[in-house]
Amino acid sequence: MNEEIVFSTRALSVGYRGKALVRDIDIDLRRGQILSLIGPNGAGKSTILKTITGQIPPISGTTVIEGKSITAWPRGELARKMAVVLTDRIRPEMMTCFDVAAMGRYPYTGRFGSLTDNDRAIVHATLRRVRADDLADRDFSQISDGQRQRIMLARALCQEPEVIVLDEPTSYLDIRHKAELLDILSEEARAQQRVVVMSMHEISLAEEASDLIMTVHSDGHVRVGKPAEMLSETDIAALFDMDLNSRAVRRFWTHMRHGDS
Amino acid sequence: MTTRVKAVRTALCFALLAVAFVVMTVLNINTGSVSIAPGEIFRIVLNRGTDGGAASNVIWKIRLPRLLAAAVLGGALSVSGFLLQTFFRNPIAGPYVLGISSGAKLFVGMTMVFVLRYAAGIPFWVVMGSAFLGSMLITGIVLLFARRVRSMSSLLVVGIMIGSICTAITDFFITFADESNVANLHNWSMGSFSGVSWSNLSLISAVVVLAVIAAFLISKPMSAYQLGENYARSMGVNVRAFRMALIGLSSVLSSCVTALSGPISFVGVAVPHMAKLLFGTARPAIIIPGAFMLGSVFCMGCDLIARTAFSPTELAISTVTAVFGAPVVITLMVNRQRLKENE
Repeated sequence: MNEEIVFSTRALSVGYRGKALVRDIDIDLRRGQILSLIGPNGAGKSTILKTITGQIPPISGTTVIEGKSITAWPRGELARKMAVVLTDRIRPEMMTCFDVAAMGRYPYTGRFGSLTDNDRAIVHATLRRVRADDLADRDFSQISDGQRQRIMLARALCQEPEVIVLDEPTSYLDIRHKAELLDILSEEARAQQRVVVMSMHEISLAEEASDLIMTVHSDGHVRVGKPAEMLSETDIAALFDMDLNSRAVRRFWTHMRHGDS
Repeated sequence: MTTRVKAVRTALCFALLAVAFVVMTVLNINTGSVSIAPGEIFRIVLNRGTDGGAASNVIWKIRLPRLLAAAVLGGALSVSGFLLQTFFRNPIAGPYVLGISSGAKLFVGMTMVFVLRYAAGIPFWVVMGSAFLGSMLITGIVLLFARRVRSMSSLLVVGIMIGSICTAITDFFITFADESNVANLHNWSMGSFSGVSWSNLSLISAVVVLAVIAAFLISKPMSAYQLGENYARSMGVNVRAFRMALIGLSSVLSSCVTALSGPISFVGVAVPHMAKLLFGTARPAIIIPGAFMLGSVFCMGCDLIARTAFSPTELAISTVTAVFGAPVVITLMVNRQRLKENE
């Protein structure tokens, strides 16, 4: 495995209108590593993701890709380093799945965005990797949520990024599509040596799929570590502010341990 | 394979539009109360109308400028509508339905009334400038509201209301303006391609051509923007500059139309949609030139109907464009509703 650190944050605080919601985030990620953000709604997972992708400015601190702050990269070059899968629902008009995925070639195409044969080959190869090559000619608005998410992933991968950031990629998917998506992401991390950063609600799936977990707490601090060290019963109860003795929590806990999240 | 099929379709559609353009040109120049033989028309056009005969005056001073105005302004309106639709991510946005044309009309009206009080004439670039200011101002106001309303039909209602207010204020000015000014203003505010002078037309054409080329040059970020602002930013689009360009260019285009011919309804909404159906794509690099050509053909056709349907009485151009354009808007809204329900 390549030990080079491609993605890091230094003393990063994120929030809105000058007010920090989450403070002092320090992460270092090597090629091929998957980091999952876990925490209660409203704690700031999405805010962290928006900040590290440059959608919103940080309160303080920096995000660094390949040794250079994301604000120092020219826009076009940053788009070749980092790609996103957002929760925004897109409604493109008259675009096939191939067209949507091919938009990911944006940072590489010329003045008018025409695809070269090489671009087309990359899009087709990417669609195969996300197991969606059979969808290429289908209208994007006519496919299921699970298929749509894989196409959006393909679009991001067509940017050939070092780092891919996904905001709750598995929400709204059924269990089969959740598993499939995480499989694809681990393959991308391992075989293509990409860094994956994502937020998730399914704790057991995150534990399974990730090399590192970041828990984002409601009081604005974060902890980063290996899944095994992070997700004990007491850790999770504290993170989500749950009473371990309540019957509802016990029931939920049993479910979760059986992988039925 | 499929890419080749698409390329062939695109080429065929452009060829079709080119043929339609030629047909419309010939029909328009050849139809009217004075009939002139085609050979004679050709000679007059080649001579640039210098022989001073009656036929030559009809062709060179009346029909040809009117025809070209319809072509240039129809194209400008369509591209302006497409830019606004991209900006608001709303298929029924257009300079007329959002009240932007009425804003331009209000400013032109005010300028005319005030300037003509102190001067005999008004330079055309002043008219253009005030139309542009009015367009930008109303676009700004619509933008303020657009942030607060989520659904596309509410945006439309906001636009119609703002348009009505502008029209009301314009009417107020007309009511209290001098007699001679009123006639001027009233004719113009009805919308018509007639009475266009060559010098105004060439100025407008130059601006329109430049603006359309500029729009074509930003067709790549436009296609990224179709996936939403955040995705566009993540692909390297300078979203703020890009949005300014979209709004600026669409205002330039629609204010050119309003300055020269008064507000013209529904072309901006209907034509881009028809172009998308014709070409089978929403790719800006194809739709910008496609909508321009289709808009030219559409407006030349509508103007032909306006001139000839109840000849010698002429209809206002908006009367005709509304008949063809408004149903397209209704269809779009009904289809959207159905899409939403299916989800």
